[in-house]
Amino acid sequence: MTNSIRLNLTVNGEARSVEIDPRRLLVEVIREELELPGTHIGCLTGDCGACTVERDGQIIKSCLALAASAEGSEITTIEGLAENGELSTLQQAFWDEYGFQCGYCLPGMLFSAKDLLAQNASPSEDEIRHAINGNLCRCTGYDTIVKSIAEAAARTA
Amino acid sequence: MLASTELQEGRAIAATEAPAGGYVGARETKHNGDLFLTGRAAYFNDIVLPKMSHAAVLRSPHAHARIKSIDASAAEASAGVLATLTGAQIKEHTGPIPFFIDPAVFGGKTRDNFPLAVDKVLMTGQPVAAVVAETAADAEAALDLIKVDYDVLEPILEADDALKDGAPIINDGWDDNVVITLPFVEGDAEAALAEADHVIEDTFEMHRLSTQPIEPRGNMAVWEKDGSLTFYGSIQNPHPLRLHLSQALGVSESAIRVIAPFVGGGLGLKMHGHPEEALVCVLAKIVGRPVKWLEDRRETLLIGGIEQTHRFKVGFNNDGQIVAIHNRIVANVGMLGSAPGWGMAFLSALGFPSGYKVPVTDVSVQVVSTNKGIWNATRGYGKQGTNVVIERMVDLVARHLGMDRIEVRRKNMIEKDEFPYATNSGLNIDSGDYHAALDKLEELLDYEGLKREQAKLREEGRYLGIGITFELTPESADIPGTIVGGFDSAQVKMDPSGNVTILSGVTTPGSGNDTGLAQIVADEVGVTIDRISVIQGDTDTCPYGFGNYSGRSIVSGGNSAVLAARDIGEKIRGGAALLLEAGDEDIELIDNLARVAGAPDRAIPIAAVAETIYTLNFAIPGIPEPPLESTRVYKPDNIRHTPDEKGRIQPYPTYSYAMHGVVVEVDPETGAVDIKRIGIVHDCGTMINPLFIEGQMAGAMVMGLGNGMSEELKYDEKGTPLSTRFKAYLMPRAGDVPAVELVHQITPSPFTLLGTKGAGEAGVGGGMSVIANAVDDALAPLGVTIRELPVSPPNVLKAIDEAGSNGGRG
Ligand code: FES
Ligand code: FES
Repeated sequence: MTNSIRLNLTVNGEARSVEIDPRRLLVEVIREELELPGTHIGCLTGDCGACTVERDGQIIKSCLALAASAEGSEITTIEGLAENGELSTLQQAFWDEYGFQCGYCLPGMLFSAKDLLAQNASPSEDEIRHAINGNLCRCTGYDTIVKSIAEAAARTA
Repeated sequence: MLASTELQEGRAIAATEAPAGGYVGARETKHNGDLFLTGRAAYFNDIVLPKMSHAAVLRSPHAHARIKSIDASAAEASAGVLATLTGAQIKEHTGPIPFFIDPAVFGGKTRDNFPLAVDKVLMTGQPVAAVVAETAADAEAALDLIKVDYDVLEPILEADDALKDGAPIINDGWDDNVVITLPFVEGDAEAALAEADHVIEDTFEMHRLSTQPIEPRGNMAVWEKDGSLTFYGSIQNPHPLRLHLSQALGVSESAIRVIAPFVGGGLGLKMHGHPEEALVCVLAKIVGRPVKWLEDRRETLLIGGIEQTHRFKVGFNNDGQIVAIHNRIVANVGMLGSAPGWGMAFLSALGFPSGYKVPVTDVSVQVVSTNKGIWNATRGYGKQGTNVVIERMVDLVARHLGMDRIEVRRKNMIEKDEFPYATNSGLNIDSGDYHAALDKLEELLDYEGLKREQAKLREEGRYLGIGITFELTPESADIPGTIVGGFDSAQVKMDPSGNVTILSGVTTPGSGNDTGLAQIVADEVGVTIDRISVIQGDTDTCPYGFGNYSGRSIVSGGNSAVLAARDIGEKIRGGAALLLEAGDEDIELIDNLARVAGAPDRAIPIAAVAETIYTLNFAIPGIPEPPLESTRVYKPDNIRHTPDEKGRIQPYPTYSYAMHGVVVEVDPETGAVDIKRIGIVHDCGTMINPLFIEGQMAGAMVMGLGNGMSEELKYDEKGTPLSTRFKAYLMPRAGDVPAVELVHQITPSPFTLLGTKGAGEAGVGGGMSVIANAVDDALAPLGVTIRELPVSPPNVLKAIDEAGSNGGRG
């Protein structure tokens, strides 16, 4: 193995420190070293969004970042979305409205929705579709995802 | 884009038909949804085994070549590498990969597919060598060090070229490039066409596409200390795969355990017969450690489907009656792989004339092998070939006669009192009311209003198009002599605490049939759904089943769960009757209670009855026998494998159907198609869970629209794939489609226990056909006829150009 480096960061509110191969992608380190496999890999080219996480308050596709670039940052993964063991309003709305089938695309859909709702409390259908346009879902046809996000907005209002 | 009020109106019509009471028919949410929402659902790549190693596959850069030699010595010595394997060595370790559906069963040609090419490669991307290393990165790096000396041959990429006299034959030992030709003939088409008032002769081409679930494939094998093999994979059919691994590897079926964890979308791609399944088993044996292989998206995109050309004649009379269809289909299945993909071509021909009463049909399909990539199943399994082309025919007839397309459909569709209806190809369509579905679609879309709007916009030089199509979806197939089975099994067990476990032979690729099974069993046994768990996808624990395909999970798996649950319910009723001093027939099971009908205070918890049966069985004479376990199989009716006088069989129990309508606007300058509305009327018989059915339909429709609008697997002239990433293989995104307005119509199947007809595939063929017809309609004023899919901007512009050079005749 190439010389490893130490990566220090905060993940889902917890300080973590791991030894990593500096060539590794953030998504790989999150899944394997940090043992948070809820962040998925669909393409590794930034097209599907299954690898989405939040870094320092901004959503990113973690297949497009080297893990080393996350030094000192605060990361939230899908495992960190629930609040004190309770599903967030957004997660609950996705459950109630059948906002996923296989669930593989959920990291991208949930984080894009969270990001949208933080900026726009009552988005239109167009705005919702625009917000999740960077994520691919092959199962739902997007309808129930759009409804889930609209429902989460309504419940928060 | 639709306003959400319109969306809700569409849904409101649906809600009025939902049955009341119980779990079956309710809009129940996923029973284990929290697992997925919190990132705890384990998919294939989340499984990590101690001492796990990683495989990478070297693939041919040539579409057609002989392998002269392979030197893997440098790779073998590379950092972290545990072993290498080449095609020259593969036969020492495994036999050929058994076909999921062998063309030889139907009298066609076959071939030996080994996990690594032995002497010749037939497609770009065919595996030629493999490396196992400590990390996936080490394995991939070592691939670069393998030297392969190829004798490159001229590739044959197009089916028509492969069919030419004197064309090089790509499979050693074959006498031409045709896998099989399958004719379906009823009556004398030449004569009927000669007598018809009109005949249209035309062609239609469906280009190569691919399924592309967001989770790619992956396999892992580990040989246990006792010599048995455990296989993990993102797969759809665990028991059939166990059989095939046993046949390939020469290991007893009982010494193999196949486990399918949660699957991130199957869509047909994860039916097996791929090289990497047996390959990881061989590699794991060689290195004596678990070996994992995970597919890269470039590899997923090597697998195609559907590519076919129809050259047809349709004869019809002045009144719009279609009297004869003559259709020659040529399907380009690329390299003939062992996965079930090639069989889709069979279905594209078998399905004619769909739900229309065409007295004379002469349809045949020629399945041609070329140097493009293999096919695997793609959701819809070839039925989209029938749907697209017959619906194009109907629109061509309407346009030729100046009749409304809806009227032509009304005139030719099977009437509701004609079911069960035997089709020309020997199918026996169970039930339906196509005319009522068409009426509902007209109302949903306000068809007359749309036509007025279209006329107005045309005056302004805007090109609004309305597409209307019917889609027939035969479901739950059983193909004799193959592991495509029409029945399935379920085991239902109640423990002494009154909890219920369902073990099922069907698997869920993400669709939620597991929740459907729980709903069905909850009603039969009288417990609340939170007391039920569902186990699928493990050959050591689940009863024998065929897994997931052909919309079969609820038809076969659901109905077998009903039978098994009824056995348990009967014992609980018997026990409760004894304890409550009532008759068995007076006991009702509901809300975790066994109670005497009409006497609400005479009740006992079901858990108490279960505990009594397990713990006081010797003490209470007459109490039902333990265990509270039952395994049952359900075989739907209507399947007939004894050939009729014409040699035809009837492989499908049920036929779901749908009417589709979309509204598009096409920009003739750019060729861009903007979908404005999607309306669907769908009948899949009894619905176990309308929420899931609607989700399946919306997903299938959008997949079909993508298949028909933007998705295309392209190759260069050397046979090198060009659509290698999601940046070039364009699947629909949320902003590309509006909401789906869906109306249910329910005509239960008389041939299945619960009346279900299967869901999940319907919509794919509908999406493809309806987008073809809508774009055709939009551009009719320019004289355009749509003759190929996808209607991507370049293809639309080409169609406009062709119309222009035809003087606008189309
Ligand atoms: S895996 Fe990162 S965008 Fe697809
Ligand atoms: S739910 Fe399967 S990819 Fe979105």
